[in-house]
Amino acid sequence: MKDPEIPRSTPSYFFREALRRIWVSKRTSSVAIAMITISLLIVGTFLLISENLGRAVTRWQGSSRATVYLDAEATPEQTASVAAWLSAHPDFGKHRFVTKAEALQRFRTYFSNLREVVGDLNENPFPASFECEVSPATAQSRAFAAETAELKSMAGVDQVQLDWDWVRRLRKLVDLVNIAGLVAGGILALAAAFTIANVIRLTMMLYHEEIEIMRLVGATERIIRGPFLIEGLLQGTIGAIVAVILLFAGYLIAARLMPPASSLLWGFLFAGFLPWQKLAALIAGGMFAGWFGSWLSVRETSEEGPRFTED
Amino acid sequence: MIHFYHVTKRFDRYSTALHDVTFHVDKGEFVFLTGASGAGKSTLLKLILRQIRATDGQIVVNGRNLSTIRRSHLPFFRREIGMVFQDFKLIERMTVFENLSFILTILGLPPKEHKKMTYSALRAVSLHHKMGAYPQQLSGGEQQRVAIARALINDPLVLIADEPTGNLDPDLAEDIIRIFSDANVRGSTVLIATHDRDLIERSGRRVITLDHGRITEEKIAAPERPMRVEGIFGLG
Repeated sequence: MKDPEIPRSTPSYFFREALRRIWVSKRTSSVAIAMITISLLIVGTFLLISENLGRAVTRWQGSSRATVYLDAEATPEQTASVAAWLSAHPDFGKHRFVTKAEALQRFRTYFSNLREVVGDLNENPFPASFECEVSPATAQSRAFAAETAELKSMAGVDQVQLDWDWVRRLRKLVDLVNIAGLVAGGILALAAAFTIANVIRLTMMLYHEEIEIMRLVGATERIIRGPFLIEGLLQGTIGAIVAVILLFAGYLIAARLMPPASSLLWGFLFAGFLPWQKLAALIAGGMFAGWFGSWLSVRETSEEGPRFTED
Repeated sequence: MIHFYHVTKRFDRYSTALHDVTFHVDKGEFVFLTGASGAGKSTLLKLILRQIRATDGQIVVNGRNLSTIRRSHLPFFRREIGMVFQDFKLIERMTVFENLSFILTILGLPPKEHKKMTYSALRAVSLHHKMGAYPQQLSGGEQQRVAIARALINDPLVLIADEPTGNLDPDLAEDIIRIFSDANVRGSTVLIATHDRDLIERSGRRVITLDHGRITEEKIAAPERPMRVEGIFGLG
């Protein structure tokens, strides 16, 4: 007895049949494809946000800063003394003095919608500061902590702010976004897989008689199920590709709509598109959801004693 | 080739289609199965194809015991049997060509062979000019001939037919029987269920008569005139 196997010519039959069935059941197939698209679009959006936040965090981590804010009433001598202290301590690397006027100008650039709030004030509320580049390794050393404490105690210094505190918080946010995206996407992908399962189940009911005939003329279960599995796989693939296209279009539109330098966050979120590995993973996820959905349906089918008509 | 040992088929407590049926059809035989409507002919053919299971008894076809055959092996068993169904069982959405070439797809034959073999099978039933037609565009008789061509396309070991001449005029019926005879000459064991007594009488073949699910008679019909056996599929 020959082992059950798929003849070599059948894969092309599977694809032809699957494409034909998708075409014949355009409406129901569209629902399944749309479900996959929506779920992967949501996952993709989360991935895009977390990817760009992650990039920003990595960039900031690579060149962390310590900002030394001066008192509003700091004298030129105190400012000079702080500058001299910074120059004498190589851990603080390069430093740059930011005047009160420059700080105000930055605020107006980054937060253009709040520009008027500052305009109403009689005086410039922003303090002058020194921005120091600090390597992440240095920032975590004990010696640096001692130097920071010494700096804080100097006359004319109001506050020393370390960037990596909020970089760390941002890293946690990236993780949270990733988890939220995976959970939401996972739930939606599961819902999409069940939608595909129902679509395939409906198609199988539609082809019930044909399936019975196929069995009677010697078709194996693999040959009968093959086109349905490919149908689900194709629905998932089409849905995923549409999701990637929409995601890219959305990214381009968002990047174009971004007001020039008006929002720092906006600039971070749409700094770059997803790498090809993540796009491939999205498409693979869609394919798997489609295949899994159809597998859920076809695994329930097997030969049953068909109803008979007595002669 | 086909062996029934005390086969009973019961559908429910009140409906028994076959009672303790025992008969044997040898390899290369051509046998008619006859009886009135409701005698159990179709049930018997369905049992041979393992479309339904026997309630009691044993059925052995081509050396396979149908009570114990594994489900995964059923398709391979069925490929050895050409069946002409009473309701034809053609796939409506497929053309005549596709209905036949689907069998060849199942068998794993390369697509380039499909056209040649399909044409040959359809030519044998004089329907080679209707390859592109859909079943619903054909008459009952033409659909029946397509079903016959499908059953014959892979030269099955066993050919069974349920009322294959039911929708045909006498001349065409004789042509169809001739096609079965030719398949028989080429080596297929043939079992035809029919209640066309004239056809049976003319054939001079062995006849099994069923009545209310029991075999009431087994005999060799005395031919009034011998059936012609002509070449088909380019053989003969």
